[in-house]
Amino acid sequence: MDRRRTPTVAAAQAVTAAVAALAVAVAARPVLAHGGSLGGAARESLSVPTWLMLSTGGAVVGASFLLATFATDRSALDWLVDARRRVALPAPTALRWTAGALGVAALAGIVVTGFVGPTDPLSNPAVVIVWGGWWAGFAMSTYLVGNSWPAVNPWRAIADVLPDLGREYRWTLGAWPSVAGLLALVWIEVVSPLADEPRVLAVTVVAYSVVTLAGAVVYGTETWFREADPVSRVFRYYGAVAPVGRGADGSLSLRFPGAALTSDRLDGIDEAAFVVAILWVTTFDGFVATPGWQWLARSLVNLGYPIAALYPGAMVVGFGAFLGVYLLASRVARRTAPTYVASETLARRFAPPLLAIAAGYHVAHFLGYFLSLVPALVAAVTAPLATVNPGLIVVPGWFGGVAIAGVLGGHLLAILAAHVTAFEIFPGRLQAIRSQYPFIAVMIFYTMASLWIVTRPDVPLPYLQ
Amino acid sequence: MTETPPTDPAGASAGSGGPSANAGDPDTAYDVPPDAAPVECEYCGRPFASEGLLALHRGRAHESTLTDDQRSAYEAAYEAESGQLQRFRLKALALLVLLYFGLLMVYAVV
Repeated sequence: MDRRRTPTVAAAQAVTAAVAALAVAVAARPVLAHGGSLGGAARESLSVPTWLMLSTGGAVVGASFLLATFATDRSALDWLVDARRRVALPAPTALRWTAGALGVAALAGIVVTGFVGPTDPLSNPAVVIVWGGWWAGFAMSTYLVGNSWPAVNPWRAIADVLPDLGREYRWTLGAWPSVAGLLALVWIEVVSPLADEPRVLAVTVVAYSVVTLAGAVVYGTETWFREADPVSRVFRYYGAVAPVGRGADGSLSLRFPGAALTSDRLDGIDEAAFVVAILWVTTFDGFVATPGWQWLARSLVNLGYPIAALYPGAMVVGFGAFLGVYLLASRVARRTAPTYVASETLARRFAPPLLAIAAGYHVAHFLGYFLSLVPALVAAVTAPLATVNPGLIVVPGWFGGVAIAGVLGGHLLAILAAHVTAFEIFPGRLQAIRSQYPFIAVMIFYTMASLWIVTRPDVPLPYLQ
Repeated sequence: MTETPPTDPAGASAGSGGPSANAGDPDTAYDVPPDAAPVECEYCGRPFASEGLLALHRGRAHESTLTDDQRSAYEAAYEAESGQLQRFRLKALALLVLLYFGLLMVYAVV
């Protein structure tokens, strides 16, 4: 099961379809882009030249911003953010225990079937549940519904019954260990056959369990999962996009999607860096499959660059570039507004809206992938140790529209959330709008970079075998 | 870099005008360049680049404690900003039309 290719192709189709839809909307005439075709053909059959597709993507983001600038009524914007409806869960404690038990059972099942289950990836419950059920399906639930990871997290449930050494976590490190952890996890995912070989996946899960449980025992469960664990942090941040969230008093309430992105939820630059890291890792996955990377990797190796440091180097340099552009924007915003608010504060406040963009790309990547794996998921749960051929659901062509809605919806939500945040920080309405210029430029840069990557032909990753 | 946190005199908390008016927000850091001449809010010490922005801030964050002069300054600044906003909207609309028809033309040709 080629986990990388499938989402990338799905995203290429989504983008193809997005451009086709835009072209129809703009030019009101049919175009030749085949949104529904499968495989690499989706890229070659794109009748719109790349430069035009990139500019259309950038123009959509820019136009969304221009439209948002017409909303300058503070009371309406405040209402969007503050509207809440309480939801009461029946028997929350029992639910929490059930969720924790379910999580632990799933973890045990994944490790056992990973080691002894069928080696065919589509029949192996570990592979299907981790990639289809968890990284695609569960991750989608965290931003579409609400973050239930603290309840389901099996490592948290196990760590709760383990002793707690309560060593002090070095606060100066902040979120940086989790940034490094996220980059490392995605690097492992890209360079190793995690989606094809259940044994490798099981070893990775065990290794992650050892690190996580050791960390939770040494530093305490709360501290570890709040500060250092990258997985918990990803789901918590995604949860800020979701319509269901926790209030200050711990009660669940229903809000507008993305409303929580406008609150001052990040502690510092380090946490803003984690948001940028989430965006970057989705891009990295596609970037290393482009011919551009193949050429760059070959040239670097010919110049004597060590092969082992190719992928980690690309990971760190690319992340540095994404973060650098973002921090630069938060400095420039001080001039365009103009304001004396420190650039660190601006970087912190305007990072959460980017999570909506990341969630939008996640939908485009994984919704079709998840649905196609539903029969395999059912088989994994009902017949965990049998080699079956569950088949894949072929999603219909119009389904690309849902992926476009994800990408566009994520961008609209991000622009609106940043707009509302600016109105909260700045006293002047025009000042708030002008403070957004550099951040909108950054969003256009991220969008065009992602679009460029999905339009490149997919090539095998160099120097991995 | 000189960090100027809000000095937060006694009047700051009394004057906050609503949940979104984060005048005395302790988490917002300020960074005034050494060669700048900021005008500071007399209620919460927040620095601003111009009198107009300060007047807008006072009207929004310290509404209940405004003097008559400050209130009229706020209203004047708000009016002036509304005029600028009108012009901005016209430009934004022009840009949107340009984008739309520009892309339309390009898609027709390519």
